[in-house]
Amino acid sequence: MSQANTVKVSINNLSFFYGNLQALKNISLPLYLKKVTAFIGPSGCGKSTLLRVMNRIYELYPNQRAEGEVILDGENILARTLDVNTLRSKVGMVFQKPTPFPMTIFDNIAFGLKLYDKLPRSELQGRVEDALRRAALWDEVKDKLNASGTSLSGGQQQRLCIARSVAIKPELILLDEPCSALDPISTAKIEELISELSEDYTIVIVTHNMQQASRVSDHTAFMFLGELIEFGETEKIFTMPSNKRTEDYITGRFG
Amino acid sequence: MVDIALRHDASASPATARLRRYRAQDRMFFRLTLACALLVLAVFAGVITSLTVGAWPAIKAFGLPFLWTEAWNPVTEKFGALAPIYGTVVTSLIAMFFAVPIGIGIAIFLTELCPRPLRRPIGIAVELLAGIPSIIYGIWGLFIMVPFLQQIVMPGLIYAFSGIPVLRDLFAGPPYGIGIFTAGLILAVMTLPFISAITRDVFETVPPVLKEAAYGLGATTWEVQWNVVLPYARTGVVGGVMLALGRALGETMAVTFVIGNAHRISESLLAPGTTISASIANEFTEALGDLYAPALIELGLILFFVTVIVLAAARLMLYRLERRAGGRT
Repeated sequence: MSQANTVKVSINNLSFFYGNLQALKNISLPLYLKKVTAFIGPSGCGKSTLLRVMNRIYELYPNQRAEGEVILDGENILARTLDVNTLRSKVGMVFQKPTPFPMTIFDNIAFGLKLYDKLPRSELQGRVEDALRRAALWDEVKDKLNASGTSLSGGQQQRLCIARSVAIKPELILLDEPCSALDPISTAKIEELISELSEDYTIVIVTHNMQQASRVSDHTAFMFLGELIEFGETEKIFTMPSNKRTEDYITGRFG
Repeated sequence: MVDIALRHDASASPATARLRRYRAQDRMFFRLTLACALLVLAVFAGVITSLTVGAWPAIKAFGLPFLWTEAWNPVTEKFGALAPIYGTVVTSLIAMFFAVPIGIGIAIFLTELCPRPLRRPIGIAVELLAGIPSIIYGIWGLFIMVPFLQQIVMPGLIYAFSGIPVLRDLFAGPPYGIGIFTAGLILAVMTLPFISAITRDVFETVPPVLKEAAYGLGATTWEVQWNVVLPYARTGVVGGVMLALGRALGETMAVTFVIGNAHRISESLLAPGTTISASIANEFTEALGDLYAPALIELGLILFFVTVIVLAAARLMLYRLERRAGGRT
């Protein structure tokens, strides 16, 4: 953690509105290359909203808008001119509940790949295997790649979804409470996976579980009522937070 | 043992007496609902029986060849069901050919692309189509659609396909206006609301997060609908198509108006034909003779079985689809 941090994403003065309700207030923070950043805070503090700005998925719904800047590799992703599909191909997202598509395990991974490249079958197979290996799922599913994605257990489904987002080699991986629907053993597997993936990818994780944030992340952002209260190295946030509210939250006095 | 204990307690406390009364009520309720369910089976059996009895003289006279005989001659009392069966199946297929893609298109538009203020008006308009009585479709079909088809669409089709081998024969002249193709189109309009309303309802059950996940990979609206929403909702979509098909197979009034009521099978889809229900409706009042009416009733029995077979085939297809989603690519 002492090595030099390169800024991968820079969020500047970001505000977000659901209709007239302001959900994010002037958020500014950096996300560092190949690091894990955790967003923590009580329910409704805006951490998931912040995540949903980064692949502009909020645009699917009317009356939601973002103001400010989110710079990914020198480009403002909120710019009107940016092609949203290209952006999303660079930003993988995994949701609270596993979202396997109604197709085979193989096709679940291949789906994202086929959207951009017309790969020959052999290369496609290679990419799928690679993604499943990275998500530590290959050994469990290699004999049943043609089984339905929905036939897997919850934990396996979630790793399938992680594999799916890894397959398209994203610049940034967004995890929205990826373990909240999983049992402790599956959770441990996913946390281990997050550490491994952070060797190659920049990762953001939203979590309600503070132990999880302290275990998996390098940096932590504490948010409260749409404001960023404190951002820093995870170790520092959890041992000597500089803000009273952060301290209250992580010691369990509120939230 | 338990019974004895209960009975013993019942005499002892008023609470268990109440429990016993509840149990008796439950049993009553069970029998009542069972009776309702059995009533359906009884009606079903009754319909089959009375149709079979009514058709018996014809069944005895013509035997199985009734099914593949095209002749229909009330004068010589030679009857065969092939032409009406053909007409029923082909008009329904034409209807599905047009109504399924358009219905699904409407559903996708309404759930995904339509600006919110327009959703309800368009949705209600589509559903209202289902409420129009079929006689109205028949009149509209005969007086408005038939001349339009006769003067514009059919000559166009005949001209356009004149050089293409198989299609040349399917769309051969002369353009009567009425015929199998016209009946299929009317049926398409009539079944459209079923397909689009049911498809829209099942599309709305697709979890938003599943769509977000697909959009999150950078998929376009088309890719999300085709690869994620439609497969997820396929059971319901096939169900809607089945319902529509059931309606198309049995529809009588509108078809009778525009099909031409000719007991023959023509290679051209533009030629007049007949369907089972149209034949029955048209000819029942004049069905004199020992075999005419029974032959019409036998047609009804056949329609009954055709519908059952179609529904069974749809179920089978659904089962295959389910298996394939879990089985192989």
